[in-house]
Amino acid sequence: MTIWWLAFVVGSLAAVFAGFVWVIVSLNRLQRGGGVGQKSVGALNKAYTDIAEEDATHLFNKEFREELRNRGRLRFEKIIDENAMFLKQDLDMTISQLNEYMKKEISSKLDSEFAAYAKAMHEAQELALGSLQKTAQEVEAQRVQLAEALKKDVAEREVALVKVYEENMAKIVEHYVLQSLGDQFDLKSQLPYIVAQMEANKQNIIEDMRL
Amino acid sequence: MSELVATTYVLPPALVTRADLARLVREVEALDNDLEAQKARNHATGQTGYHMPTVSRGLSDFVELNKLDLGNDQARMLLKERMKVMKDKAPIVHMTFAIEADPASLQYLVAYMRKELHPQALISVGLQPSLVGGVYLRTPNHVHDFSLRAKLAENRGVIQQDIEAFAGVIEVVEAP
Repeated sequence: MTIWWLAFVVGSLAAVFAGFVWVIVSLNRLQRGGGVGQKSVGALNKAYTDIAEEDATHLFNKEFREELRNRGRLRFEKIIDENAMFLKQDLDMTISQLNEYMKKEISSKLDSEFAAYAKAMHEAQELALGSLQKTAQEVEAQRVQLAEALKKDVAEREVALVKVYEENMAKIVEHYVLQSLGDQFDLKSQLPYIVAQMEANKQNIIEDMRL
Repeated sequence: MSELVATTYVLPPALVTRADLARLVREVEALDNDLEAQKARNHATGQTGYHMPTVSRGLSDFVELNKLDLGNDQARMLLKERMKVMKDKAPIVHMTFAIEADPASLQYLVAYMRKELHPQALISVGLQPSLVGGVYLRTPNHVHDFSLRAKLAENRGVIQQDIEAFAGVIEVVEAP
């Protein structure tokens, strides 16, 4: 393993040295060529100008324009796509915010409405409960009054019935005796009773007969 | 006047009602007329003495009870007058019975009344079956109800008391 690491390090140092050498050689060649270049710069510029003039006609030819047009179209499409994307993003964000806002507003509105509704419902419930309690109390009072009146009426009716029963019972028994014994006595058997009664009222009868 | 009548004659038990007394008065008058006629005939013919006509059982009892001599003109005249007065003035007691009164019972009652109440008391008899028993007695000025009907009505309270006592025994359960 160490040998491989050593080989790798040596190889790397060799490669760095080779690169350094190449750089130096290249710089020397460029210095030598610069002398010649002092003479040929004008020619070179002239050659470049000629080439440019020559190529200017070639630069804006039909294919190049077509290429530029295509590039422009692509660029424009790209910009439009990007703007559309940005617009879409903004729009989505705006919609999202709007949704959030709407949700928030609607929720708060609904909450307040629900709270008001709940409050109104609670008040209505309490009102109805109070009314029901009042009605129940009135019904209970009426029931108590009715029960008292009924009890009193029943007691009075009972007393009246008992009184009528007692009075009529005596009459019924008397009528029964009258019907049963009406013609069962002969006068002879009644004489002791009659005489006894007359004897009991003797003085009154005598005084009355003397008048 | 009734005092005067009461001290005059004793009425027999068979003479119960005013109609009986009126019949007796008529008989006495008829007897007196008959004897007066005999007297007139005797006066015309010059005969003496009476032929006493047959009299009823009631008059016979009456005469015997009061020890009267019907042949005596003076006594007969007095009897006739006093019996007329008695017929008008004798105290009449109206007695209403529940059943038909038999003569024996009436005689018993009139005998009691003449012994205990008034010697010339007469009875006027009525019939009212609803009395059940006893008698409804009406004197000249008062009414005495000795009937069984009145007795029952008087004792209605006994039934009511019994019912009340019986009602007290029954336990009263209040309705649920």
